[in-house]
Amino acid sequence: MIQEYPRRDRSPPATAPPAAVAVRCPAMDDDVRPWDAAAPLVRAAQRGDALAMDDLLKLVTPYVTRLCGSIAPRDTADAVQESLLAVFRGLRGLRDPQAFYGWVRAVTVREAARVARRTASETPADPQEIGRLRDLLPGAGGELTTEVRDLLARLPVQHRTVLVLRELEGLDERTTAALIGVPEGTVKSRLSRARSSFRKAWTR
Amino acid sequence: MTAPDQVARLRVLAAGLRAPLYAETRIALPFDRVWAVVADLEGELPHLISFVREFRVPPGDSERKAAQAEDVLGLRGPFDVRLSTGWCLMQSRLVTMGIAAEPDGAGTRLAVCGAARPAALGPVQRVYRSLLGKRRTRAFFRAVEHRAALR
Repeated sequence: MIQEYPRRDRSPPATAPPAAVAVRCPAMDDDVRPWDAAAPLVRAAQRGDALAMDDLLKLVTPYVTRLCGSIAPRDTADAVQESLLAVFRGLRGLRDPQAFYGWVRAVTVREAARVARRTASETPADPQEIGRLRDLLPGAGGELTTEVRDLLARLPVQHRTVLVLRELEGLDERTTAALIGVPEGTVKSRLSRARSSFRKAWTR
Repeated sequence: MTAPDQVARLRVLAAGLRAPLYAETRIALPFDRVWAVVADLEGELPHLISFVREFRVPPGDSERKAAQAEDVLGLRGPFDVRLSTGWCLMQSRLVTMGIAAEPDGAGTRLAVCGAARPAALGPVQRVYRSLLGKRRTRAFFRAVEHRAALR
């Protein structure tokens, strides 16, 4: 059963617009926001229009890929495929097409974290490297640098997921907690650990 | 970002369409030869799908085309076609068909997907999948391999 998320969660994902705008679709002008452009495609795809579904797939793949690259950096391709399969399998159940991006984000975070947890050992990150998290904000192209990507890859999945949602996606703690299905307090404690290391390295 | 795998793309689309027909295979022929068969819709589609008598596609390199199909009973219908390297998606008012291919060493991974569009046909599609799905997709792959070997 697909849940709808609170309206405040329908804000555009921080990294979605550049890539989404870069992918042209028939009914899309430069001044049309990507989540507005997605809505008619979602409706058509829900009616079984394969061409609209393909346009929607092209529109959303860069966003899903970036999110998966941050949460499951060692298994990005698998995470992207699992996320897209989950998104398109569940598309017909999405009641509000305007909530498409928020819903894609929720599904992708869940699938990417699941894929990342499947991988073998995780190496704890060095506090000095965590200090470089100040570079987390993406550059002009919306892409993370290789260095930051590598650093994120070394964080435990649970901390990485929370950091990506808070720092890259700009979500608040309540929304983050709802997305990953844990209590708000757990989000706070995970963030606190990562930030504690961050502050130590920052002041050196 | 790496280029999307076209077979993976079709798998996602088939999941979204709840397509009764979806299958993948590996053909031991180079990608170029296999894709040359698929991309020649007008010349090859009647050889690949038994109920298609004629498939007319306007000339040109455009990735989006409006084709006309005629089945063995003489019924005609327009198809929207999207064709690019490794990717072919065709849709009429009633049916959707997708074909995707990726190079795989010296061979080619090939996938095919078929679905009826009206939602009311969902139960019929499920019966069709259980009765004829595998046979249809195997026949399609065999035909592509045969036609590619002739090139």
